[in-house]
Amino acid sequence: MAPAIATMRRAGVPAKTLLVGVPALLALLLSLHDLTSLLPPNLWWTALTAPDISDPAQLLYRYAFLPRIAASILAGAALGLAGALMQHVLRNPLAEPTTIGTNAGASLALAAATLYAPWLLAGGREAVALAGGALATLAVFALARGRNFSPVSIIVAGLVVSLTFGSASALLMALNREYTEELFIWQSGSLVQNGDAAIGSLAPPLLFAIGAAFLLLKPLRLLDLEDDGAASLGARPAIIRLAGMALAVALSALVVAEVGVIGFVALAAPALARLAGARRLVQRLILAPLVGAALLWFTDRLVQELSFAAEVPAGTATALLGAPLLLFLLPRLRSAPQAQAVPAPSARWTRPWLPLAIGLIALALAVAVAIGFGRTASGWHWVLSADLPELLALRTPRVVVALAAGTLLAIAGTLMQRMTGNPMAAPEVLGISGGASFGVLTLLVLSDGFDRTAMLGAALAGAAAALAVVMLAARRNALSPERLLLAGVAVATVASAFAALLLASGDPRMDFLLAWLSGSTYRATTADAVTAALVAAVVVAAAPLTARWLDILPLGETTARGLGLRLERTRAVLLALTALATAMATLVIGPLSFVGLMAPHLARMLGLRRAVPQLLAAAILGALILVAADWAGRTLIFPWQVPAGLLAAFVGGPYFMLLMWRGRQ
Amino acid sequence: MVVSLGATPIAVGDIRGYGDWVQGPALPQSTIDLGSRSEPNLELLTELRPDLIAGAYGYGLDQSLFTHLAPTFNVPFYMSKAAPYAQAQQVTLELGEVLDRRPQAQRLVESVDATIADARAVLAKRPQKPLCVVSMFDDRHVRVYGAGSLLQDVLDRLALTNAWTGATNEWGFSTVGIEQLVAVGEAQLISLDPIPQHIKIRIDRSSLWANLPCVRNGQVRTIPPVWPFGGLAAAGRFAGFLAAA
Repeated sequence: MAPAIATMRRAGVPAKTLLVGVPALLALLLSLHDLTSLLPPNLWWTALTAPDISDPAQLLYRYAFLPRIAASILAGAALGLAGALMQHVLRNPLAEPTTIGTNAGASLALAAATLYAPWLLAGGREAVALAGGALATLAVFALARGRNFSPVSIIVAGLVVSLTFGSASALLMALNREYTEELFIWQSGSLVQNGDAAIGSLAPPLLFAIGAAFLLLKPLRLLDLEDDGAASLGARPAIIRLAGMALAVALSALVVAEVGVIGFVALAAPALARLAGARRLVQRLILAPLVGAALLWFTDRLVQELSFAAEVPAGTATALLGAPLLLFLLPRLRSAPQAQAVPAPSARWTRPWLPLAIGLIALALAVAVAIGFGRTASGWHWVLSADLPELLALRTPRVVVALAAGTLLAIAGTLMQRMTGNPMAAPEVLGISGGASFGVLTLLVLSDGFDRTAMLGAALAGAAAALAVVMLAARRNALSPERLLLAGVAVATVASAFAALLLASGDPRMDFLLAWLSGSTYRATTADAVTAALVAAVVVAAAPLTARWLDILPLGETTARGLGLRLERTRAVLLALTALATAMATLVIGPLSFVGLMAPHLARMLGLRRAVPQLLAAAILGALILVAADWAGRTLIFPWQVPAGLLAAFVGGPYFMLLMWRGRQ
Repeated sequence: MVVSLGATPIAVGDIRGYGDWVQGPALPQSTIDLGSRSEPNLELLTELRPDLIAGAYGYGLDQSLFTHLAPTFNVPFYMSKAAPYAQAQQVTLELGEVLDRRPQAQRLVESVDATIADARAVLAKRPQKPLCVVSMFDDRHVRVYGAGSLLQDVLDRLALTNAWTGATNEWGFSTVGIEQLVAVGEAQLISLDPIPQHIKIRIDRSSLWANLPCVRNGQVRTIPPVWPFGGLAAAGRFAGFLAAA
């Protein structure tokens, strides 16, 4: 197909037309093909205007087939527009409803309403999703306000809010497993329709949003200037951003409410539009919705053609198809402006050993409490000598695994953040955790059984494959940080979409998957504990050896080269170390999404900025967080248990927000 | 299954879920909650010193987690190619052996067989349409039970026809969009409780749902909860509910 496209381009057909035209044409052909087998063409018009609903074919045509096509086009367009707006406003090619917390907020609101106030949903999910999405986004903006809504601070805040809200809804779902089937289905993003309702709720707001976007065109264009430049022209960048974001958030919350979480369209449509040469904002605002609509329509039709035992929801399919596309296109994407580092408090330690020693003592105390103090049917107890061997056998592997995983993730996160100079970097974002879960998920699909050894192997293979894919996609330009992140996000998205698909399948083994994905130590064995502890020891010993690189890399590429650093090799070594740490942690405790991101930040906020002190402090903090979370998860709602990873994100997220809030002036 | 043999479990996982989705046989008041079904509390289990730990191992719960606490008994549903009903009979007898309640197990097998035979006799007196058994979790999708499910086995024994002949997964069900119910034509739709109230309201508003051939003529029948992955007690409940009314 590529040579054909090249020929057409030489013949003067612009890339922009091809980008929309090719998927749209394919979608149209597929739709016509399906339509013809459903209903003879001479009935199409009659069945649309005055359907004979006693005829099943006309019923399907009128109330299922056509609404589904319309919903896919409308939702795709809405996501394309939302993505284009967000990426422009936030000046970040990674911005989409998922990265800025909108989807997580809408999901939490819907999960809470389903479980505790279902009457709110009787009229539809729109109001609840909108409230949740808007609330989450407002929280993000409140956190970023002190920094004048700078793009990076919004993305970081969005990530933190997403993790916190996401862990809260996962918590609700884990504790009410049998009551959340609806949410699993909805989360996987299905375009199945049961009448015209979705069209009625999607079309008018979309038209309104398109109108509003074009009214805002002129002020939005000013955002291309630096903030100071825009302000000197009399514009208020913060207000413009707010307006643009409000529009984008409303659109994405609406789509979430109507059809569920459709990943990747909002990310891919504007990116594709830019690649096709839509340099000006107005071009992107026109092209991105068209691309989004064509993409979603085509994807949904394609999924219908392939036959599986269960329906593949469109949300899963877009992520599965879109991510490789993004990986393929990455090398051609022009670099976006460098991310700015998050300002940290000015406290510096001349003798970093003091806080490190305090941290170690705190960690030792935490381990003692985690192993020795707990809850039984009769209340809270220190371990009595009689129960000692039994309880130790149960608790020690869990505590050791939490300790080792916390250490490994924190070190992996510190390495990533120092190497890329991007405060969003974390093992989860690099896609290694995603790759590991992808391996486990694939194993679950391919086999009926449940073999722990095979699972470990699959996770390791997945992690290695993800690393290979990410390195390959980002190889040009000496593994530039942004491409690494984008490639990692693509892998992580595929894995989470895949997980959503399996969770929606209702397979009884999914209880385990849910526990693993949320970071439970429940299944930790002695062998797990020993392996994890050994790897953690090796990584802790090896990481400080890279200290010189880690101190130089954040100074920027030019400086690093000037100081004689061989960037490609340095990065490869650091990546390998990160991959080992992440894969091991993921194997024993699942793809946690908190510790690797937060621990290095906390270490820096405590004033430990040089490489070695930051590494060690992050390792101690990471271990402390997970050991504490594991203990709390085992005891707080005894005999029920909360996975350590969920609890860490649920408690640590707000704490991190508080730090950001205080540090914003 | 333990309860249906007349034994009293000290503890089970997720008591609230059992009450909402399984219901029968009722658990004794004294039963202690062990936490979620996917992560029953091991420390509490240790403390309770049970005589036997029965569970469906293999779906994320490793039998080895429990073997050092007490003798374990595996309920291997859907693990082999055998039909779920025959498996349920087999496992009931095995469990009777282990619990030293062989006569009770034998009696349970016979009484469920008898319940199903009675139900079959009742149903044979009136003309029966093909059935389609669904669980509703959402206003756009249903879970439909077919080949390979316990419910299918019971339908076969009742000489009833399952109108859903589409593909199912290893556990005998499939999650499909409601438009696919067109495939079951005018079959009678059997909907398993519980259905969340807000889903009921939204389903009633759907123009597609209201006009499905199996819905239009008032063919939808709601029956009390039956755990579709359960044992003989669930099978007996299902047969009884179908014959009632």
